[in-house]
Amino acid sequence: MSVAVLAVELGGSRGLISRTAAHLQLTLLVMAIAVLIAIPLAVVVSHSRRSGAVASGLVTAGRAVPTYAVIALLFPVAILWGLGLGFWPSVVALVLLAIPPLYTNTATGIRGVEPSLVESARGMGMTSRGVLRSVELPVALPLILAGIRTATVQVMATATLASVFGYQALGSYLTEGLAQRDDAKLLTGTLAVGLLWLVAEVILGLLQRRLTPWAAERPRRWRRRSSGPRAHSSPSGIPGAPSLSRP
Amino acid sequence: MTRPEILTRRRRPLVAMAVAVAFILLAAACGSDSSSSSTATTKATVPSGPGVAIGAQDFPESLVLSEVYNQAFATAGYSSGVQEVGGFRDLLYGAFGTGDVNFALEYAGSMLNYLAKPEKPAGSDVNANVSQATVLLTSKKIVVAKPSSAVNTNAFVMTKARSEELGITTLSDLAAKGASLKLGAPSDCETNPFCLPGLKSVYGVDLSANLVALDDGRADALVGNQFDVAVLFSTDPPLAGNDFVVLTDDKKLLPADNIVPVMAQALVDAYGQPFVDLVNKVSAALTTATVTEMNKAYVVDKEDASTVASNFLKANGLA
Amino acid sequence: MKVVLGNDANSLIWWNWVGRNTDVIVERTVQHLQLTLLTMAIGIVIASALTAIALRFRVVTTPILWGTGLLYTVPSIALFGFLVPRLGLGYRTALVALVGYTLVVLVRNMVAGLEGVSPLVRESATAMGMRSAPRFWKVDLPLALPTVMAGIRIATVGTVGLVTISALVGEGGYGALINQGLARNNFATPIVVGASLSILMALVLDLMLWGLQQVLTPWNRTIRERA
Repeated sequence: MSVAVLAVELGGSRGLISRTAAHLQLTLLVMAIAVLIAIPLAVVVSHSRRSGAVASGLVTAGRAVPTYAVIALLFPVAILWGLGLGFWPSVVALVLLAIPPLYTNTATGIRGVEPSLVESARGMGMTSRGVLRSVELPVALPLILAGIRTATVQVMATATLASVFGYQALGSYLTEGLAQRDDAKLLTGTLAVGLLWLVAEVILGLLQRRLTPWAAERPRRWRRRSSGPRAHSSPSGIPGAPSLSRP
Repeated sequence: MTRPEILTRRRRPLVAMAVAVAFILLAAACGSDSSSSSTATTKATVPSGPGVAIGAQDFPESLVLSEVYNQAFATAGYSSGVQEVGGFRDLLYGAFGTGDVNFALEYAGSMLNYLAKPEKPAGSDVNANVSQATVLLTSKKIVVAKPSSAVNTNAFVMTKARSEELGITTLSDLAAKGASLKLGAPSDCETNPFCLPGLKSVYGVDLSANLVALDDGRADALVGNQFDVAVLFSTDPPLAGNDFVVLTDDKKLLPADNIVPVMAQALVDAYGQPFVDLVNKVSAALTTATVTEMNKAYVVDKEDASTVASNFLKANGLA
Repeated sequence: MKVVLGNDANSLIWWNWVGRNTDVIVERTVQHLQLTLLTMAIGIVIASALTAIALRFRVVTTPILWGTGLLYTVPSIALFGFLVPRLGLGYRTALVALVGYTLVVLVRNMVAGLEGVSPLVRESATAMGMRSAPRFWKVDLPLALPTVMAGIRIATVGTVGLVTISALVGEGGYGALINQGLARNNFATPIVVGASLSILMALVLDLMLWGLQQVLTPWNRTIRERA
């Protein structure tokens, strides 16, 4: 593929800025809806044995049908209801896509909270709500955030499908590049989505560090020690803590 | 402090079972080698050579036409199968290059424009299109057969109601009365010489301000009045129960996008003129009308592709 | 889409069609299952290697997470456009793309799981005389297992949905059935058959993995009930 000159329109209704904004708008809306559905659902379900299987099944089912197919099937419905072209079908399809990582990771995170922690919190007189807020969610937070980050990359990358059905966004560079045999547009679309995601990833990474500061104290390295106890003479990564090894 | 043990004696059989099940599934999956092909039986009346792998792109017309040639080949004794491939020429010609595909149905005008990129030399003379394409395909070791008379090109369509309301039945009418109408077209319309630029240069009307780019679902959207004119394809079966009017191309803008088979040089070398004659014979039976009918049978009436193909071959004395 | 209960082309399931096309349905099932299982097997191996590298050399943790994420944002048509002229069509090419797409989910959960093991627990294990390798298998991995398994489950269900992109190289599985139905004026039967079987396959695989997770992490089975 020859390197094509990326002479791309920035402004205007079909320019890079407007398309990026449209792509971001779709992604944010989808993530907001998905988070509002998946995380509370996972929290509720993690506390009861029975509904776990049903919820998990529903969540799985929603993702198993290819996103393109969901949009294609909803498209005539959207037209029928006067909702315009590809935007709302894409929202539904992408929400279905985003829910499994959010739900599964949240449920796993909350289930993984040590019962003893919950017991002691209850013992101190905390209500279920308090337990949730002060114990379960903080402990599960790294996993919940991992779920959010996975869902974000999937939604952002797949949102390009909306442009096949008429939504002018970054995916339009791909559809136009393919139809018009224009490699520069293809490259623009791919790079734009990639860069947009990197920005989101950095922001989410900063958010994660802010919300889970204790996770920043990571063990410095996984060292392969060839010898026995004598080698464990230095603490790994916990500043200020005394050595826990035998002399 | 007890250490967590995965493999206590009690749990070992369960773990072993889980692992075994996983292995069995993997083995079963690995054991079969599937490729999407419908192979037909061989009769020993032709010289031995490579099997014909027809590259069928994932739109209905391509599948149906591929099946037509597939059955024709099988009847004549060649080993033939249909290989599905995505609807992008990059993939199709990539597959020709690796030998996964050695036969495909192409469209004379669009094929030429693809091969000649960034030039767009396709015009309304099919023979000119074919001869130029032939030259460009020699480096890929692909040979072009005789084109059929069936043409699949852009069709500018309005709903009957709208067409009557505005009094537009030809593209000249559109130029005269429809400069403010909304056009729903695929993503290539703004640069496709047979879409916006062509409307401008041949008919003198510029619809770019009101262009709606939609790669999928244009017929639905037209019915739903999301735009006034839709760019569909001339062999699209009319949607059951909908009334469409195809605007006449009175100034001959649209190209000769005739259906034309292309095949690997290796096939011609192996099977010679009898094979090429067979291909041309089938192509000669294809007309725009019959192709549209086959599309309708497959898409609207939901007949199986193999049935549609065999009916066509029988009706034309080729079965 | 006119949906009528009956046994003709317009009904939700036209049993005649199913009968005539049983071999196609079976072929698609094998295709879909083969691609999903192989993708997961290869994906887990590669993701494990990447995770090990990411945790061993802290410098590359973020680049690896970014790299796998960027890989996911490459459109499948661009990816196949690159692969097909080199690898041709068929399930090998499909595997390359599918494995590439599954890495981001697996690596992220594997890293999160292993990072989430408390350093104090590790230290105490070390203090008890455990060396790095046994400590990994007996302490870190079991504790990280729920998160890792969650990642595998998310990735598996995701892969079941993604197999459809392999239609570009002729290995579309159930997705190809659905697409065929969509292209034929929303022909209900292949759509319903393809979608239901996809969902069924995802559910079965998810259930099996959930069962495997329960077997491997029995200490995690406590369910806290609400008062």
